[in-house]
Amino acid sequence: MNVSLSARNIVKHYGGVVALSDGNLDVKSGEVLALIGANGSGKSTLSKVINGVVVLDGGQLLLNEKIVHFSSPQAAKDLGISIVFQELSLIPQMTVAENIWLAREPIITAGVIDKKLVDMKTMELISLFDGTYHTDLRPNTPVSDLPPDERQIVEILKAISFDPEVLILDEATASLDSRQVRRLFELVKQWKEAGKAIIFVSHRMEEIFQIGDRYTVLRNGKTVGSGDIQDINENDLVKLMIAEDSLLTFIRKEKNDRENQQPIFLEINHLRANNLKEISFNVKRGELLGIGGLQGQGQRDLLLSIFGDIPFKGDIKLNGEMVKFRHPRQAMKKGVALVPGDRAKEGLLYIRSILENLILPSWKKYGFPLNIKKSITDAEQIARNLKLIMAGLQEPVSSLSGGNAQKVVIGKWLLQSPQLLLLDDPTKGVDVGTKGEFYTLLSNLCDEGKTILFYSSDDEELLGLCDRIIVLHDGKLHIELSGDNLNKESLIRASLGGTHIGGV
Amino acid sequence: MIKRISWNLLITRYPAFFSTILLIVVLIVNAIVQPNIFKLDTLNGNMRIFLPLILLAVGQTFVMICGGIDISVGGIVSIINTILATQVGLNGSIEQMWKFVLISLLAGMLAGAINGFFIAILRLQPIITTYATGFIYAGFALFLLPNPGGGIPRVAADIYRTTTPLGLPLAFFVIIVVLLIWWYLRSTRYGRFLYAVGGNKESAYQSAVPVTWVILSTYVISGLMAAFAGIAITLLSGSGNAEIGNTMTLSSITAVVIGGTAFSGGIGGVAGPILGSITLGLIQNVISFAQINTWWETLVKALIIVVALAAPGVINLFGRRK
Amino acid sequence: MKKFVISPPIAALTLAIVLFLLSGFLPNGYGSDVDVAIAQATNIVRLAVFLGVIAAGQTLVIISGFEGIDLSAGSVVTLTAILTYTIVSGENSMVIPALLVALVVGGLVGFLNGLGVTFLKISPFVMTLGMSGVVTGTIIVINHGNISGKIAPIMTRTIARPISPDIPIPGAIVIWLIFGVFMWLLLERTTFGKNLFAIGVNRVTAKLSGVNVTWTNIGAYALAGSLTGFGGFLLVGNTGVVFIALGQPYLFPAIAAVAVGGTLLSGGKGSYWGTMAGAIVLTLITSLLTTMQMGEAVRRMVLGATLLALISIYGRQRSLRQ
Repeated sequence: MNVSLSARNIVKHYGGVVALSDGNLDVKSGEVLALIGANGSGKSTLSKVINGVVVLDGGQLLLNEKIVHFSSPQAAKDLGISIVFQELSLIPQMTVAENIWLAREPIITAGVIDKKLVDMKTMELISLFDGTYHTDLRPNTPVSDLPPDERQIVEILKAISFDPEVLILDEATASLDSRQVRRLFELVKQWKEAGKAIIFVSHRMEEIFQIGDRYTVLRNGKTVGSGDIQDINENDLVKLMIAEDSLLTFIRKEKNDRENQQPIFLEINHLRANNLKEISFNVKRGELLGIGGLQGQGQRDLLLSIFGDIPFKGDIKLNGEMVKFRHPRQAMKKGVALVPGDRAKEGLLYIRSILENLILPSWKKYGFPLNIKKSITDAEQIARNLKLIMAGLQEPVSSLSGGNAQKVVIGKWLLQSPQLLLLDDPTKGVDVGTKGEFYTLLSNLCDEGKTILFYSSDDEELLGLCDRIIVLHDGKLHIELSGDNLNKESLIRASLGGTHIGGV
Repeated sequence: MIKRISWNLLITRYPAFFSTILLIVVLIVNAIVQPNIFKLDTLNGNMRIFLPLILLAVGQTFVMICGGIDISVGGIVSIINTILATQVGLNGSIEQMWKFVLISLLAGMLAGAINGFFIAILRLQPIITTYATGFIYAGFALFLLPNPGGGIPRVAADIYRTTTPLGLPLAFFVIIVVLLIWWYLRSTRYGRFLYAVGGNKESAYQSAVPVTWVILSTYVISGLMAAFAGIAITLLSGSGNAEIGNTMTLSSITAVVIGGTAFSGGIGGVAGPILGSITLGLIQNVISFAQINTWWETLVKALIIVVALAAPGVINLFGRRK
Repeated sequence: MKKFVISPPIAALTLAIVLFLLSGFLPNGYGSDVDVAIAQATNIVRLAVFLGVIAAGQTLVIISGFEGIDLSAGSVVTLTAILTYTIVSGENSMVIPALLVALVVGGLVGFLNGLGVTFLKISPFVMTLGMSGVVTGTIIVINHGNISGKIAPIMTRTIARPISPDIPIPGAIVIWLIFGVFMWLLLERTTFGKNLFAIGVNRVTAKLSGVNVTWTNIGAYALAGSLTGFGGFLLVGNTGVVFIALGQPYLFPAIAAVAVGGTLLSGGKGSYWGTMAGAIVLTLITSLLTTMQMGEAVRRMVLGATLLALISIYGRQRSLRQ
């Protein structure tokens, strides 16, 4: 097998946001290329482009020196490119064998599937991971019965069953335990030797150095470096991942003064929910606490638990009072507000007017029949405070740009005068100018004595804004950064699960 | 705790389990109320009555596995009944009968294809679409036969009434044929496609399953089964009535629910709905025989349906609470 | 998907006017006689009142989203009409109590619908359809097929006759206008109304913004039942007769009226003015068909096709390929 895949100057935007402006990558037979980048660097977009899931807006893909276009994921598969997702492509109600061989099962007479052959081939695949799975991972087990690590194994088996020339492992080790990862790497070595080209997308430093032959680093949608793994060390890799000069120079002044004087406002003890395995920490009144770490480490579950949207175990104390909110309404009554992570799906009523979105939590204040005039006045006030750019309050919120729509999501809580603000990645997909306005707003709120919990996938933002940052990794509080440790290198390293200089 | 988990597992993994138990219970009650139930004549009589519902429920199953629903089946049954009653008539010949039986099957498939076009290709919502088409179909049946009347040749109805191949009701053989066909389909790629689409449309699409065609085919099958049901019920009643299909839609959905095929698609087989139909039929039998006041009959039948529909929800509710 | 710049209620009203003008050319039409035209127009609107009020409940549940629909409306109309009929028994003094009973009973049925839909997670279509059977069964039990009663003179006076000799507007239309204002207040000037739209658009956002999704949903169904009860009260007050199939013919047109009026069948957007316009359009279509001497069958097919056409324009969903 002899194959080479190149991505040259790939451009991709989603609406107004540029995910990739200059993505480059080269991989050939017999090597493992580690594709590395921080949150928002564009690395998952690049692997989606290579796999045919998204269509590129600019640049070229070259397979064996020839330009290729993918019209669908199937087209990429037909050309020998296979990707392992994070258990996204399985059908839970169907069995392992059914999932792996869907739409290409071998058949005997009259269209009947050759079940024996299917089972045999599935067993062959499963045996690749012999000794690393706990339950009975058999061809006829429904996928819904499997724990996440074994579902991931099925995903891997499915991808490899196509006998691809190029295999993309996109964060495929996230759900696997160490034994399974070891086995996967043994298999990767075998596949390498058989002539496959492997792209390994990951944020785990240890694994990158274990398995990678070469590396490519993405930052802010551009490829900023590539070379042989043996020629670089962890420090330098991290340096490549961080922006040297940022567009953002916002720093909160006088953070340190306030830190020691205020009482504790929020106390979290042994909180457990979904992805959040166990966390305890305190927040002082008027503090802007940052929550860092890569996506999916439990940050969202933390915020949702405090807000009362999901069930959780553990204790929460608000202003000295024990609380256990079962519904966001209860949290609202105690002065808690949540700006959710996906504004289209969770933060806005897309087809309704800006006015209705802004006043949604607060209609009760306007009596019966609703005093619409007053609501308009109040809404206009909020819009002015936030410098909202809109055609009019009656326009649907879908007419707003990303940044302004996000202002509406925050704006609707300002009328409620919350004491604790929970923000789930509020500046995602927001332009730089609006971001600046947000930072000023949040800063002012803290000065007024409001407490803010702020999760962001943008590391600079966290560093510039927050008094302290707690970094979550694998559902736990990995490290707390403050004072001198509040720098980019420590943050990135902590996010990747590494140790850092000084700290908790 | 462990007991409850396995109960839940049982229901989801073997949907026919719950319905089998229910069927046995109802059978026993039936035997008490109508002691000669297992005699061939009664059995035959009962099965003939249940057969149209069984056929409808099977068709509905295909649609539901893929996450859809077909509210127009009642209308299709009515059309088939009116076609046969008007075109063949009481004095028709057996050849005419066969001819129009075939035409009916095609009509059913066409009606299903129309449904499938709107749902699979135009991507409209199944409930409201089949509600609208059902109304159109019912109207068409009324158009063909404004007043109850017409019929099919006595001979044909008699054959249906009295045929007992190998001493067993005709309906048994139909069920066996249906089960065989289902068993065959299950073992082909098409069978896997059905469950894939029902389980997760997007994943199925990513795995090169022809989702649109699969969904369309389920509606065509439902239409075809509705046509068979229409033929069966015409053979049963011997006459024509444009309103004949009206109550059958809800019954078919109830039968599928009793049989355990979840509304959200992705699980279930054909055995469950078949058992569900028989159970529903037996329940209605019990009611007739229990000599409940005629005035109460409608209400009791309706309550049974609501209870049957509510049962999975109630079980789930308690499952979730614990 | 085309986007209409004119608001749907106005579009519907325009359609109604156009249809009406065209109807003048028909053999039985008003030709060029303005007086007759006005009389006919008034009559159409008067007939539309009852459909319009019955469609009010439908409007609420459809706005609430999640495939909301109320198929029990037809039988609730009949039930409340019969209850009114029996309670009033010709006495003016019993009119208010009868009205209250109608509202409460309708609300109770709606409340049960709401419970099933929200807590048992039964699809609204199936739940309300099943409930419809239960209500019909209850009607039979209550009345033993024998309905005796009488409406009070004041009802006929208020509903069926013009409000005063000088103003030739039937009382029903005035009642409808007041009702329309009430519905507008409910939907646009109460927290409940705002919450209703919110859950119709996006239940996650609504919950995260503090809306009690569960009880808003149940409230929608309960209120819908009450409003439908009011419809039954008005209906019997107009005609003075009841029979078992009184309400059923209004069910499908009610749903179609809501759709014609621009309320999205997916929920979250709409208005009662639109439903009113839609009710007029549908009454017009029905009356035109009657004038052209097309029977019930054609009426059904045309209504079904109208709804189908509407959802084809307004109701298409996302495709699988992005």
